[in-house]
This record gives sequence, C-alpha cells and structure tokens, in this order.
Amino acid sequence: MPEASAVASRVPPSKALRGRINAVGAAVFVLGLGVWELAVRTGLLDFAYLPPPSDVVVGLGELIETGQLQGALAHTLFVALSGWALAGLLGVAAGSVLGLVRPVWRYSMASLEALRALPIVAFVPVAVLLYGFSARMEIVVACYAALWPILLNTISGMRTEQRLIEVGAVLRLSRPAVLWKIRLPAATAQIVVGLRLGLSISLVLTLVAEMVGNPAGLGFLLVDKAEALQPAQMFAGVFVVGVAGIVLNALLMVAARLAFRGQLNAAGEGG
Amino acid sequence: MAGENGTGGTPLRGLLPLAALLVLWQLTGDPDSPYFPPPSEWFAAVRPLVEGNELLPAVAATSLTFLIGLGVATLIGAIVGTLVGSSRPADRALSPSLEFLRALPAASLVPVATLILGYTTQMKLVVVVLPATWPILLACRSARRSLSPVLLDVPRTLGLSRRHRATKILTPALLPAVLLGVRVAAPLALIITLLVEIVTRVDGLGSVLGAAQANFLSAQVYGLLTITGLLGYLVNWVVTRADNAVSRRMRGEP
Amino acid sequence: MTRSSEPTGHGTGSAAGTDSPGATNGTDGTDSISCEGVGVTLSGSSGALDVLGGVDISVARGEFVSILGTSGSGKTTLLRVLGGLLPATTGTVRCHGSVVTGPADGVVTVFQDYVHSLLPWRTVRRNVGLGIEAGCDRAERDERVDEALIMVGLRQRADEYPWRLSGGMQQRVQIARALATRPRVLLMDEPFGALDAMTKASLQDQLQQVQELTATTVVFVTHDVEEAVYLSDRVLVLDGSPAAIGLALDIPLERPRHQVTTKESADYLRLRHRVYEALGHDIGERARLGEHDHA
Ligand SMILES: Nc1ncnc2c1ncn2[C@@H]1O[C@H](COP(=O)(O)OP(=O)(O)O)[C@@H](O)[C@H]1O
Ligand SMILES: [Mg+2]
Repeated sequence: MPEASAVASRVPPSKALRGRINAVGAAVFVLGLGVWELAVRTGLLDFAYLPPPSDVVVGLGELIETGQLQGALAHTLFVALSGWALAGLLGVAAGSVLGLVRPVWRYSMASLEALRALPIVAFVPVAVLLYGFSARMEIVVACYAALWPILLNTISGMRTEQRLIEVGAVLRLSRPAVLWKIRLPAATAQIVVGLRLGLSISLVLTLVAEMVGNPAGLGFLLVDKAEALQPAQMFAGVFVVGVAGIVLNALLMVAARLAFRGQLNAAGEGG
Repeated sequence: MAGENGTGGTPLRGLLPLAALLVLWQLTGDPDSPYFPPPSEWFAAVRPLVEGNELLPAVAATSLTFLIGLGVATLIGAIVGTLVGSSRPADRALSPSLEFLRALPAASLVPVATLILGYTTQMKLVVVVLPATWPILLACRSARRSLSPVLLDVPRTLGLSRRHRATKILTPALLPAVLLGVRVAAPLALIITLLVEIVTRVDGLGSVLGAAQANFLSAQVYGLLTITGLLGYLVNWVVTRADNAVSRRMRGEP
Repeated sequence: MTRSSEPTGHGTGSAAGTDSPGATNGTDGTDSISCEGVGVTLSGSSGALDVLGGVDISVARGEFVSILGTSGSGKTTLLRVLGGLLPATTGTVRCHGSVVTGPADGVVTVFQDYVHSLLPWRTVRRNVGLGIEAGCDRAERDERVDEALIMVGLRQRADEYPWRLSGGMQQRVQIARALATRPRVLLMDEPFGALDAMTKASLQDQLQQVQELTATTVVFVTHDVEEAVYLSDRVLVLDGSPAAIGLALDIPLERPRHQVTTKESADYLRLRHRVYEALGHDIGERARLGEHDHA
C-alpha cells in the first residue's frame, strides 16, 4: 500500500492509472470470497458439494502436485490455440475474398447465413461421429467454432468506406496498394475483434469436446473430478479455466496493440 | 447495390452453393455410409423419433429451458446493469468480480451446476442464465451510463414519483439497450441450452442428439442437427423482428 | 489580373463584371481540364434523375475557377465527373488533351468530409505521404511531405494522428496530401464548408498563397458566394434541372486579395451582387447593398 500511495501522489490521477489499479474492486472480490468461505463454514450455504474457497486452494495445490493440472491445461491450450490459429488463417483469407469480391459474396453469403443458424455445439456430436475420440476432433470443433466470428468480422471489416477507396483512386494507388494500405488496415480493428471472440469461443468448444468426446484436457478434468466427487479440485479447475481465458485474451490484445497500434488507436481500442 | 448492404438484403441466390452441395450429396451419397448419409436418409432416421413421441417433448423441453433461461437472464441483466450503470463507485467496486465471472466459459459451469444441483431442470436453467445475462447486463450498463442527465432531471422538475420515474423515463430509455442485449443473448442461450443437454443428457433436443451420436446413428445426428438449425433460425428471426419493431416504435415511425 | 503570365483567354480587362460569352474558355492549347456537353443521369430511389445536362466548362492552366450552386444542384456530381470518379452519361471530359475515363494523373480531388478521407491509423506525416509512396524514394518523399506540411502550416503536428486535430487542421492535412503529389489540377469539393467562419477565412488565404506559389489549376466547388468571388479568377453558377452553367463571370480583382480590403471594394461588391442575382437572391441583396452605399 505505501508504494501505491507514493505512486498516486506523484502521478496525477490519469485515466490509465485509474483503469489499472482498482483497489476497491479487488477488495470486493476478496470480500466476496470471504463471505463465501464464512457462509459455507457456518452452514449458511448448505450444499453437499460446495467447498469453501480455502478448500479450493488446497485442491489447486493437489492438482498441481500430481501434475494433472499442467497436463490438462497444456492439452486444452494446445487444442484451443491450434483450432483458433487455423480458423484465423481460414477466416481472414475467406473473409477477405468474400468481402472484396462482390460476385462471390452475392453467390455464397446466404448459404453462410443459413449454416450460421446451426448452433455450433450441435456440431460436436457430428465431429465425434466423424473423427472419434481424438485430439483431431477437438481441433476441428475448436476451429469451426472460432471460424464464424473471424469470418463474419473480416467480411464486414472489408467493407471499406467508399470515400477511402476513392482517396486511393484519386491518389492513383495501384490495386495491391489499395488493398495493402487502405482496405486491410481499415479492417484490422474489426478483424481483431473477430479473433478475440473466436479465441474465447474456441476455448469453450474445446471444453465441450473434451467433456463429451475426447477424455483429455481441462474439460475432461472437470467432469472427471465432478464424477469422482472431488468438488474442491473441480472448482480449482474451473478457476484455472477462467484465468486461462482472461490471460489468453489479454495476451492477444497486447500482441494486437503492439502490431497494429495506429489501427486500434483509431478504432478507440488503443487502451 | 444499395439493398445488398444491409444484412437483411443478402441476395437469395447466395443459397445456390448450399443447395447444390445438398443435391450433390443426395445424388452421390451412399445411403449406408456411417459418416455421410445423404439428406433423404436424415428424415427417414428422424421419423422413428417422431412416431415414438420423443422428438416433440424434446423440442418442448429445450424451448422451455431456453425461454425461461432467457427471461430470467433478461430480468437479472436489466436490473443489475441499470444499477451498476447508475453509480460509478458501484461499477468500480463490482467490475473485477463481474469480469471474472464473465470470463468463465459456459461449459465449465456445467460440472459445477450438476455437482451442486444434480441432473435437474434447475441445473440446466442456472447454466443457461449466467452466460446469457452478460450481453444484456453490459448493454444496459453502458446505456444507463450514457443516459443524458437532462433526461433524469425531467421527472424531478415534473415532480414525478420514484415509481413513475422508473416506468415513464428509465424503462423506455433503456428498452432499446435491453433489446440489443437480448438480440445477442438469445442465440447464445439456445447454444448453451443445447450444450448443457449434450453434456449432461438431461432431456431436450441436445440429449437426443447426444444419444444418437453415442449410438452411431449418423443419419439421425444429421437430421437432428437440421432441426436445431431450424430452431436457431426461428430464434434469430423472432428476436430480430421484435428488436426492429420496437426500435422503430421508439423512433416514432409507424 | 496579377497573374498575367497565365493566359486565361479573357485578356487583362480591368473592368469588373465582364460577361464572358460562355463558360467555354476558347484557348485550347492551354486548357488544363475541360468538359463538353456533360450530362449525368443517376438512378435514385424514385427512378432516374437527370442531375446534369449539357455542361461545358474549360479551365485554363493556373486558373482558379469556382463552381457555385445551391445545395443539391449537382456540384459534387460535376466535380466527381471532372475527377474521373463518376463516368458522365453523355459528353466527354478532357484533361491536358486526353479523354478522362478514370482518375487522371496529376488531378487530385479534395473531399469535403475530411474525417472520412484521412486514414485514421496513419499519422499526419504518413497520411500526407500516401500518394507518393510508390513513385519516390524515402528521402524525396520526406522532403516533399515536409514541403507540403510547411505550405499548410502543419509541420509541427506531423507525428499526431489526424483525429487528434481540429477540423480545420484535418482539412489542411487533406490539402497537404494532395499538394505532396504536386498536382497540376486540384479539384476541391466544398473543402471549407464544414468549418467555422474564422478558420474558413484563414484557410482561404492559405489556399490563395499556395496557389500563387505552385500555380496549380484549381476547380473549387462551393455554395458560398463570398468565398467564390473572393478566391476565384472566374465564377461559374450551376443551376437548372438538369443543371448547367447559368452564369460565367470573370473576377478581375487584384491579387493578392485581402479579407477586409478586397471585400470592401466596390468591384467586389458589384460582382457579388451579380452572382447573388444569378442565384435568385436579388431583393434581399439589393437592400444590403443599399446599406453599404449609404455608409
Ligand atoms: N449516388 C446518387 N444516386 C442518386 N442520386 C444522387 C446520387 N448522388 C447525388 N444524387 C442526387 O443528385 C443531385 C445533386 O447532388 P450533388 O451533386 O451531391 O449536389 P451538391 O453537391 O450540389 O449539393 C441531388 O438531387 C442528389 O439527391
Ligand atoms: Mg456536394
């Protein structure tokens, strides 16, 4: 605390600083955990399998000690990220074509919209049917799930403002230059939005695939611990999943800001 | 070209590739294929479910969970979002906790809910409500935040009671945001309803789908997939229609 | 006419208000940009709309011509046709002798909505360099960008993002971007239309100086009579439906012009009166002129 207040006295209460350090918010979070602990310990909350947070910490320790957590986390992250990366390549490429070439868009967009209406989770049984209980099945599911937001955001991002295209024409830019200097940068902020959504969806669907299909990774760990009636370890697993999601999203944003500073600033997402 | 820019204006000829694919599949597909049975087989495979009176109750169960879940999520999201949005300190105090809860993938809630509530309809509802609340909560929060202070002064100068302030000023002002949130939340709620059903096999369309897959009834899996698609399409259509109608009403158009 | 080295085809008559016989400026050899019999039919929501019909314009090298018209009269449409952004339904557009089919070399359009015309992800410097990245090496590009920025007085703000600048500055960035390409013809569509009066006046003078310096041909679209008369060598009034050139008026006011003295001179007021008359504003304008006469 003394450190924080020293910083606060030297630096004017800038927006960035206020955005980063939210002591009240952190306190409320901890307080919430404390209330949970008390409520369970005093029997106020009485569910057979609701552990208090302290037990969850112990469970987390056990998971780490036995190495189960590391293995499961590595598997899930590998699958979710591979599927997502594949979807990124496919989605940005196909989305660019669909967004830039009107005839292609005209003759396929309605098909895509019809396919999009199919709830993605309903594809998990299909994938299990086609690929069995394998990591490949998981990657296919993760990729399919992440593909949609990336594809749709790329398509709409490629709809560059007509005025900017005219600017390119007036300044006599070549077609590749218009694509590279105007259309792609104009679409970047929206593509990044698609990539972020895609990443979180691919994580969710990886977990589902692990719960009903491939017995591996965090998804399997969760159902396994639930069935083995080890709620503390299961809650620890849920906590890890939440943190993994936050960390992945943060890493992606940091990378995007490093790579596309101007574009994200312009879209008001520079942070 | 103007008509093509809105999403509503997607030209129908765009359905050609999908139609061509299905026709090709039908013509070249092997009826006994364990992986890619042709479309005509799908309907044949779903028929026993209809005749055995399994499909309709399943669709009804899924719809009910979806509707109740979405309704509860809308209520919670609108109320909490408005409260959090009306007070900066409350927002600051709660946002880290809310952010963490939001980061929990819906799938990871399933084992938690089953462990605590068992394999019950309440369990399904809890899992659906939590993730579906976020879009509504966030939309309401930002709409309440950006509400013009002048608008809030209006009831004060008119001497309206608190209740009238809520019903005559706040509700209509925030309704478009709620609807925007619902528009995002509705497809999500449907997906999560199916997700819970597929994972836990507690009645509904998802559990039938999961059972079909477990029994390697591939044609039935494709048939059920099509039915979930129709359900998804219906949900999108209704929500979009409702949203458009209400926002047109709010703007004073007929 | 201070720029006597630039033949405008109308001699150096000093009498204000010489009516030219037509909009066409008969000196073929020195024409910078011209159009003949241009008609444009656009398809709107309520069927086809004849926006322009039989427009003849010819602009000499180094000339500053304003196209004046009420809102919706077709000024933007005409400028887009001249800039090669919109094909004419009938008639032809020529630029330096060759027929225009798309944006021509050396012809740059400056749009009214600067907000949407600048690339928000590029700094001012990189926005200004956009048009010369392909043709120039780095050193030359930097030099030309600096030169253009100095001309519009934005050298200090080169590393800002445009959306951090005021509206007037953003429009100057767009003008600098055009200038960096060293255009022979500058087509400007109500470039100062969205700016406040003070900013507008200072940008008008800056544009005057830049044009003096570079001898660029300028076709300037505006709905502001004062602005048109103040800046131009010639004012063309667009009216009718479909619109055509109704009045073509030489503006032989001395250069450099000055916001106060020029606008107080009798010649300026008389010219302004004629333009207002052509636009159908005669009564109100006469009353105001009377005031001036009494003063
Ligand atoms: N893309 C278009 N399609 C149909 N009509 C248009 C289009 N652009 C402009 N118009 C119509 O052409 C007329 C002239 O427009 P414009 O050239 O923009 O006028 P100005 O720039 O003088 O205000 C207006 O009546 C306008 O409605
Ligand atoms: Mg215009």
